[in-house]
Amino acid sequence: MTTATMQRNRPSGFRISKKVLPYVLSLPALLVCIGILIPFFTSVVYSFQRYRLSQPWARQFNWGDNYISFFTDPRFWNTLEISLLYAGITVLLELLLGLGIAMLLQKRSTLNNFISIMLLMPLMTAPALAALMWKLMTNPGFGVLSYLASLIGLQDFRWASSPSTALFTVVLVDIWVYTPFIMILLLAGLRSLPTQPFEAAALDGVPRSFVFFRITLPMLTPYILTATLFRLLDSIQQFDIIYAMTQGGPGDTLTVFQVEAYLNFFQSTNVGRSAALMIILWAITYFLSNIFIKNWLRLRERARGLA
Amino acid sequence: MEHTSLLERILRGIALTLVVIFFMFPIVWILMMSFQTNETILRIPPQLVFKPTLANYTALITGKLTTAAGTLDIAFMRNLWNSVFLSVTSVAVALLLGVPAAYAFARHKFRGSEDIAFTLLSFRFAPALLVLLPLTLYFQKLGLANTYIGLIWVYQLICLPLILWIVRGYFEDIPADIEYAYRIAGHSWFATFRKIALPLAGPGIAAAGLLAFIFAWNNFIFALVLASADKQPVTVGALAFITSSGIQYGQISAAIVLSITPTLALALYAQRYLVEGLSLGAVKG
Amino acid sequence: MASLELRNVVKRYKSQTVLDNLSLSVADGETLVLFGPSGAGKTVLLRLVAGVIDPDEGKIFIGGEDMTDLDAEFRGVGMAFQNFALFPHMTAFDNIATPLQAKRSSQSAMKAGVESVAKLLKIGHVLSHKPRALSNGQKQRTALARALVGSPPVLLLDDPLRNVDAKLRFEMRLELPRLLADRGATVVYVTQDYKEAMALGDRIAVMSQGVIKQLGTPEQIYREPANIEIARLFGDPTINLLDVKPSRDAKGIYVGLSNVQVHLTGAYDATVGRDCVIGLRPEALRFVDEGTSAAIPVTVEAETPLNEKIVTLVRTVRGREILVSRPAGTAGQTEGRAHIAVDGKSALLFDRANGDRIGSKNVVNLRSGEAA
Repeated sequence: MTTATMQRNRPSGFRISKKVLPYVLSLPALLVCIGILIPFFTSVVYSFQRYRLSQPWARQFNWGDNYISFFTDPRFWNTLEISLLYAGITVLLELLLGLGIAMLLQKRSTLNNFISIMLLMPLMTAPALAALMWKLMTNPGFGVLSYLASLIGLQDFRWASSPSTALFTVVLVDIWVYTPFIMILLLAGLRSLPTQPFEAAALDGVPRSFVFFRITLPMLTPYILTATLFRLLDSIQQFDIIYAMTQGGPGDTLTVFQVEAYLNFFQSTNVGRSAALMIILWAITYFLSNIFIKNWLRLRERARGLA
Repeated sequence: MEHTSLLERILRGIALTLVVIFFMFPIVWILMMSFQTNETILRIPPQLVFKPTLANYTALITGKLTTAAGTLDIAFMRNLWNSVFLSVTSVAVALLLGVPAAYAFARHKFRGSEDIAFTLLSFRFAPALLVLLPLTLYFQKLGLANTYIGLIWVYQLICLPLILWIVRGYFEDIPADIEYAYRIAGHSWFATFRKIALPLAGPGIAAAGLLAFIFAWNNFIFALVLASADKQPVTVGALAFITSSGIQYGQISAAIVLSITPTLALALYAQRYLVEGLSLGAVKG
Repeated sequence: MASLELRNVVKRYKSQTVLDNLSLSVADGETLVLFGPSGAGKTVLLRLVAGVIDPDEGKIFIGGEDMTDLDAEFRGVGMAFQNFALFPHMTAFDNIATPLQAKRSSQSAMKAGVESVAKLLKIGHVLSHKPRALSNGQKQRTALARALVGSPPVLLLDDPLRNVDAKLRFEMRLELPRLLADRGATVVYVTQDYKEAMALGDRIAVMSQGVIKQLGTPEQIYREPANIEIARLFGDPTINLLDVKPSRDAKGIYVGLSNVQVHLTGAYDATVGRDCVIGLRPEALRFVDEGTSAAIPVTVEAETPLNEKIVTLVRTVRGREILVSRPAGTAGQTEGRAHIAVDGKSALLFDRANGDRIGSKNVVNLRSGEAA
């Protein structure tokens, strides 16, 4: 009887073998992967070409010319400098501010939890729209921030429209949007730290600066590293805020990599130079993301372990 | 930590108040502006007390702005619809593609699985324009330029890595024995996936979907490069407002409020999962 | 109904070999206990039979059919997991019903099937609860019910009593043999508890580091353990192990314990002059009056009354500690000087170099697949 039952239970008809199944499941995602790798390689090819959309007939390989010309191109050096400056300043300030706020909110209380949720709102605002909001608030005619600036004696503070304060303004918007990101990651980190070392230190009357530098910071390091690298990767590629706010201007004050590549492509229709810029940016992010992924994986393992 | 002095508590209070003001003020201010007429907006000093009006919202929703100079068409509702459609469809597609793949990566350590997963992850960090610029040229050749299909495909760059990595973590959290038990009971892998893995990872999948929706909604650069006016989402559309003549600041503010409300609401709803989502599963909230 | 056979099965994880060329067969209706320390490969073996993991080499037969390449759902086995592995989003009823569902039973047949097995396991009143609302004991019974409900010809039980409290474990140890016997299924039962192994197994396979060290009836394993390790694992209190060097005199082979010559019965000729270890079960020792032949003088150190027996720790004149066990209620020395006698027939002799038991009688064939 049992044999008969088992016979009937035997697999019949079309069946996906155990070995093939995972490939079948991931195939669609894989295809999307490939679909995106193609334009990536196209970019590499373009970067070695003299290619202007306005002069398609003159398209030809010029090999390293696009890259070589960068060395003597002050516009490129400006792009590199402003990109690194922007990323460096925003990440550093956001890190300090985010850490500070996270420590203010570390204790679990209804008020603290409420505030930390409220602080997420800027992060959930589209960066382009955030830039637009700040643009309205810094409008020289009616902007509330322009008015407040005038109250503290800064008459005719031009915010994003003046070369001397444009960087400050976009950094401010970036801080407004992304500080909550660092804050919330570090807050999760702080709250997951074991309490014993802190209790022991408090019992022994260890000075608080010592506790912070010798216990809190070292234990928080993986979180800080992950948050920093995450932000650094995004920040060096910043486009939305800068483009929405100033379109890279005034002049070439804020032509960071992606803005510069966008302008090169759509305004000067210089595809080759645009692609070369992107390849250089990609090289930078590739380098950073390799460090990032290693650290991120470690943190992820730990989170899975706790789960 | 516990015995804090009064001075310290006061300083903490002040610091927190400043923090809340800095991060909340722009949202509150724009919200206020959206209920003001142009006259009150332009008044100096800015007014904290005013008679609220719904005129800005009415103009946006009806699509007709009546001014002294005549009637002006506003396409904002079209932008809003594009945002909804693009985000919802992109997330749906990403879930369809990403959830089975996440399951495969979580349950079967097959050859090349980690490579594929990391390639997808690296998309999250690659410069968008690197892919977008050649893609505009391809799309023109393929007839995908300025189509929803083309945009939804590109939006997978945002949604797919997010869903893959978060959902994978949730699948990994399900003890393998539970799935084994269901298989041994006589059910196929597909039944096990449907009746055990999916329901148990359900909350995680929902959270990943919500986050992907937020990121898709907030995206700017893809649509800026690939879509023209009739396919543009709110992020691009609202920006075009400020340069188009005749539109008033109250309407821009109202448009911003309408554009950020969905993501803020979803974020509040899914805030429990935000930390994990934002860190692609590296940090548990 | 269904015999079970593993033929030269190898399973590796990365560079580690978890099962090393293992062969085993279980007769139809037999209960085989897999016993061994954690990491021995017991659970892996069970999973290979169930079909949720695949062997790297070798074949698996159920009911004479080659099942090696068949997915778990086609193998017709029932399995209970050590951690229960209940479906957290389903009620106890739905949990138990899953095997019947897979067979596309009718609603009424499903209800009848679940309720009868639930009644048998005394969980009829909690069928509507989700696992998180069940006590550990109820979870364990639910998991067992799920394994039993489809009347699978092969039952795999992975240490099902591990995570339940002592009282329940005791009850279940009494209940399970009857339950399993009623089903008539072929059972493979994994445990780390030797009493469970002795109580439940028709045969016991002692596993260690991916191989079966000994296979035999509980009686065989206890009386003729293959090596010191196994002798030590079975028995409570633990077997007494003393270093000895057998000698020969007119009466035969003997070992010297505290200057007393204890003669051994058995074919130990080859052991003369070799470094050996003698194994004396505590219950094979008894207190005797002074002057009895081969009585060993000892000092009583401590006495521990257990429920059904009394265990006494004694010390020989050479300072070696020995445990003596006697049934509760029988007389024995409780303090001071005493004498004990060794039953030469039940003494076990091991080779000190490799730990293997020496002795020719009833040599246990290690990889024999035949039931004893």
